[in-house]
Amino acid sequence: MLLIECPYCGPRDQSEFSNGGEAHVKRPDGSQEISDREWGEYVFIRSNPKGLFYERWVHSHGCRKWFNCVRDTSTDEILKIYKLDDPKPPLKDFENKIQTPSGEPDVGSGNFTVKK
Amino acid sequence: MTHLNNQNSPFIHFHQRINFQFDGKKYHGYKGDTIASALLRHGIKLIGRSFKYHRPRGIYTCGIEEPNALVQIISEHSEPNVRATIKKIYEGMEVESQNRWPSIEFDIGSVNSILSPLFSAGFYYKTFMGPHKSFWKKIYEPVIRKAAGLGKPPKEFKAISSHLHHNVDIVIVGGGLNGLLAASSLIDTQYDILLIEGDNQLGGILNNSSKINEINGQRPQEWAKETIESIKKSKNIKILNNTLVTTYNYINHLIAVEDKYVGAKPAEDKVNSTLHKIRTEHVILSNGHIERFLSFQNNDLPGIMLGASFEKFICRYGVIPSKEPVIFSNNSNSNSLIQTLLELHIKPKAYIDSRSGEQIEGELFELIRKNDIPLYTNSQVKAAYGNKKLEKIVVQDSSGGINEITTDFLCVSGGINPDVHLFTQSKGLLEWDDKDLTYKPSKSFQNTITLGSASGQFNFEEIENELNQKLKIFNVNKIIIKIKSNTASRYQIQKLWEVPAHKTSMWSKSFIDLQNDVTTKDIRQAISEGFDRIEHLKRFTTNSMGTDQGKISSINALGIVSDLLDKKVNEVGTTIYRPPYAPLSFAAIAGRNSYEFYDPERKSPIHQWHIKNGAVFEDVGQWKRPWYFPLSKSETMYDAVQRESKTVRESAGILDGSTLGKIEIKGKDALQFMNLIYTNSFTKMNAGSARYALMLGEDGMVKDDGIICKISDEHFIATTTTGGAANVLACMEEYAQTEWPNLNVYMNSITEQFATFNISGPKTRDIMSKVFPEIDFSNQAFPFMTFQFHEFQNTQLRIMRASFTGEMGYEIYVPSNSALKIWEQIQEAGKEFGLTPYGTETMHLLRAEKGYIIIGQDTDGSITPIDLGLNWMIGKTKTDFLGKRSLTRSDTVRPDRKQLVGILPLNKEDSLEEGQHILLNESLQTPVPMLGHITSSYHSPIMGHTFGLAVIKDGRSLIGTKAFASTSNQKTIPVEIVKPIFYDEKNERLVS
Repeated sequence: MLLIECPYCGPRDQSEFSNGGEAHVKRPDGSQEISDREWGEYVFIRSNPKGLFYERWVHSHGCRKWFNCVRDTSTDEILKIYKLDDPKPPLKDFENKIQTPSGEPDVGSGNFTVKK
Repeated sequence: MTHLNNQNSPFIHFHQRINFQFDGKKYHGYKGDTIASALLRHGIKLIGRSFKYHRPRGIYTCGIEEPNALVQIISEHSEPNVRATIKKIYEGMEVESQNRWPSIEFDIGSVNSILSPLFSAGFYYKTFMGPHKSFWKKIYEPVIRKAAGLGKPPKEFKAISSHLHHNVDIVIVGGGLNGLLAASSLIDTQYDILLIEGDNQLGGILNNSSKINEINGQRPQEWAKETIESIKKSKNIKILNNTLVTTYNYINHLIAVEDKYVGAKPAEDKVNSTLHKIRTEHVILSNGHIERFLSFQNNDLPGIMLGASFEKFICRYGVIPSKEPVIFSNNSNSNSLIQTLLELHIKPKAYIDSRSGEQIEGELFELIRKNDIPLYTNSQVKAAYGNKKLEKIVVQDSSGGINEITTDFLCVSGGINPDVHLFTQSKGLLEWDDKDLTYKPSKSFQNTITLGSASGQFNFEEIENELNQKLKIFNVNKIIIKIKSNTASRYQIQKLWEVPAHKTSMWSKSFIDLQNDVTTKDIRQAISEGFDRIEHLKRFTTNSMGTDQGKISSINALGIVSDLLDKKVNEVGTTIYRPPYAPLSFAAIAGRNSYEFYDPERKSPIHQWHIKNGAVFEDVGQWKRPWYFPLSKSETMYDAVQRESKTVRESAGILDGSTLGKIEIKGKDALQFMNLIYTNSFTKMNAGSARYALMLGEDGMVKDDGIICKISDEHFIATTTTGGAANVLACMEEYAQTEWPNLNVYMNSITEQFATFNISGPKTRDIMSKVFPEIDFSNQAFPFMTFQFHEFQNTQLRIMRASFTGEMGYEIYVPSNSALKIWEQIQEAGKEFGLTPYGTETMHLLRAEKGYIIIGQDTDGSITPIDLGLNWMIGKTKTDFLGKRSLTRSDTVRPDRKQLVGILPLNKEDSLEEGQHILLNESLQTPVPMLGHITSSYHSPIMGHTFGLAVIKDGRSLIGTKAFASTSNQKTIPVEIVKPIFYDEKNERLVS
C-alpha cells in the first residue's frame, strides 16, 4: 500500500485516497467553438505511460482536497507531490528508469521473466 | 515410547502431559509439542494422503515449509489444511487426517495411484474439455474434483480477529541469531523497533540445531536468554511472538498475523488473531533459510524427512524421529545433524554423500570414521521402497554398484535457500549464486536490509563483518561477536537436483512438488509439449502452486529445467513469489469488518415506525427502505402494491424519502456554479422556487437528477438520487477545486440532517391543512414547484410543493430529531382521509405511469437528456455546463439512438417483464434484430393491465407502431409502442 503525502494533512495510507487519473488535462474553454475531435479527446483520451506519469489524487477520506503527483508507474515510486496551483514540474527533473519502450527498470518492477 | 524423547530439550515441558486425538485415537504429548512432534513421539508416520494420487504421506519438515502433514482441526470448527508442524497441541484437541476415505490406512482414492499414467501434466486442461458439455456438470465436477483436494471446508465458521496499526522506524523480521544480534545492537537507540518472530520463542537456529557451540564465550542458550532479557528491558524494542509476516508491500508496509491462541483452544468470544499492519522506515530481514529436498524414486514415502528438520525435532521439540536414520546429502548443512545424533549416542545407519571423499569436510570425515558410520561417498540414493512407510533404500555407490539398505528413516538434504519470499515481495532483485546453487538477494528496491542466511550469507565467521557493515546506517556501536560452530566453516554444495530412477515404469514416481503431486516426469513432458517458459511450466504442471508454494522444491525445479533446456539457471529465471508468504485466514483479513460491520446499514429516522407497521424492506445502496406495507401476512406483495397505488390515486399516501441525497451549496458564486453543474438554468428562477434538474457527465450522458431549491443566488439546496448522493457531492467538489477554483462556492452533505416525507394524492391538501393549520396551502399562496420555511413545534420545516407520483403533493423536510414525532402526527391526522404509507415499489409504479424516469433503471450511462425527451430541461441560453458540448457530437445527434418510449401489450392479459427485448418482426429466426429493451414494467391498477417503459432505437418515430416483446420461452408478445406517459398527460391532477 502506497504512503501518500497529502500536501494538507501529511503522510497517510493509500486507502484514504482516490485516484483521479491523468493530471494537467485542462477542460477546454469555449467548448462550443471546438471540433468534435478536440472535445472527444478531452472527454475520452488519456495517456497511460509505463514510467513517469502526472496524475491526480484526492484525499477522499480526509480533507477531500485534490492535488497532483508524479509517479513512476513501473515501480509505483511517488517522485513528487504538489498542489493544484503549483507549476507542473518538468520531466527532466526526474530520472526515467526505463531505457527502452518495452523495457523494465533494473529493480522494483518484480517482473523477473521479462527483465533482460 | 519414552525412548524417542530427548529430555535435554529445554523447550518441552515433559512433566505436563497433554491429551489429544488423531483420527479418533487417543494420544498424548507434552506442553510445547506441535501435532507433528507429538505424533512422532508415538512413532506415527502416516499423516495424510496426497492431493492427486492419494499416496501415503508423512511429516517431511519441521516448520512452515511443510508440504505433506496438513490436517483438519475438528475441535476448531473443523479448520482445514493446518500444518501439523506448526500447530501446537492442547488438552482435548481433535485432529483428523485429510483426503482419505474411508480411512487413512485403507483409502479408496489410492486407485488414482494405479491410474496415475492417465493423470499426467495438464490433465485438467486436456481432460475436462470434452467429450460433451454436460460431462463437466455431471461427472468431472462432482466425482473427479471430489477425489482431488486438501481438507474439507468447514460448514459453519465464526472467528474474531482485530487489526492493529503500527508506525515504527525499524522492523526486524525473524528473531534468530541475526535478528537478536541486530536488535541487541539497537537497544535504547532513538529508533522505534518491532522484532517479529513466527515461533513462540526467540532464538531460531540456536534452538533448532547444535550448529553453534559458543557465542562470546557463552553456551548459545545462555547467550540467547541474556540477550532476550536485555532486549525486553529496552525502551524502544517491542517483541511480537507467534507472529508471521506474510506480506511485504510498497512502501515498507508489512502485514503480519499474530496467533493469540498458541497451544490453547481459541475462545469463541475473544479475538483469535491479530492482523498487524505495519508502516516502517527500514526493514531488516533476518528470517533465515529453508532446506530443500532432492528428487529420487518414491522420495515421498513416510519416513523421509529433511535433515535439518530431523535435527530441529530433536533440539527444539525433544523428539527423536528415529534411532537409526540414514542420511543423504549433497552439502555441508547436514554435518551438525551427525553431531547432534552422536551427542545423544545415536549412530546413523549410514551417511550417503554425493560429494567425493576429498570434497567432504575433514572434520566430518574424521567424525564419521571415528564413530564407524558406514560412509558412501560419490553415492546417491536411487530409490526408496516400502508399504505406506519407508522400509529400504537403494544406493548407488562410487563404483556404480547397487546396495540395498534396510531402514525406517531417511534424512535428505538438497542444500539451503535463503528465505527470499519477503525480499522478492518487496520487489528486490535476486541473483543466482553458481557456487552455493541458490538465488540470493542482490539489490534492494526499498529500505530493506538482509542479514545472515536470509541474505545468502551461510558462514558464521562472516556475521560480525556483515552486521557492522549493514547496520552502519543506524550509527550503532561496533558489534563484536565470536562464534564457535559445530559445522563446516564454509558452506559447500555439489550440484544435484534429481537422481535418475533405479527401475523405471509407467508408475514410477520421483516427486518435484509433494503437495501438488508433480513428478519430474511431468516437468519433462511439459517441456516437450512446449511449455519451456518457467511461468508457463508452473501453471501447466501446477508445480509450486500448493499452499506451501513449493518452499522446499521450487529451486530444484528450476535446476531440472535448466539442465533439460541446457541453459543456466539465471537464464531460466524464477517465478514471482507473491504474498502471502503462508496462508492466512479470511477472518484475520476481515478483522472487525465482518458480520454486522461488513457493510453497515443506513436507516432513516422513521425506521422503527416502519418495523412496527409491518414494512418489508428493500436494500437501496446501504439504506434499508420500506418496499411495501402488507396489511396482513396473507397479503402478497402484488396485492399490497396494487392497494397502495390505488389509495394514492384515490385519496392519499405518504412515502419516507429520507434516503434521498441532500447537498447544500453556498457562496457568492453559487448561482454560477449551479448553472455549470446542472443542465438547467437557475438564473431567472425566483428565490423560493424549485426545479427538476439533470446532471450530465462530460460525455453528455445523464448521471443524476434531483430537485434544486433556490433560497437565494448565493444559497441552494439540491436533492440527489439515493444511490448517487456521494458521487454527486464528489463531482461538485472536484469541479469546484480543479476547473473553477476562482468561484467562491462551498458544498456539504446534509442528507442525514433532514428526513423527507413525500405526501401525495387528491386528499393531500386536506391532511396538510389539518396538520399545519397556520399554513395556506392554496395554489395561489403555495404554487407548484415552490417551497416555504415554517416554524413548527420548536423546529424549522421546509415544505415544497412537488410530486413524484403525478398526484398533487408536498415534500416535507424535517430535522431528523423531530422527524418521527411529526411523521406520527401526519399519520394520525391522515386517518380520516384514508392516508396510507407506501413503499418504494408503489413509488416506482406510480412514477412509471406518469412517465418519470429512475436514474440507473431507465438510464444506464448511455442515455442523453435528448434520448429521454427532456430537451426542455437544457438551458438553451447557457454557454456551458457539464457535458453540454457532447450533446452536439455526431454520435449524440444521430437519429437511431435509443430513445425512451412507452410499451402497451395488445392483449391485455399478456404480462410484460423488465429486460424483454423489443422486435419489429414476430419471427425469432436468428439473428433477431433487436431494437432495445423494456427498462420498467408494472401492472397498473388504474389501467387494469401491465405497461412498460423501454429504450428503443429511433423510438420516438416508431410511436404508434406494432412491435413484439421477446420472452424466455421462445414466444413473442404483440405490443404497441406509445408515448412514455400513461396518466394525466395534461398535468391537471399534478397542479390541482
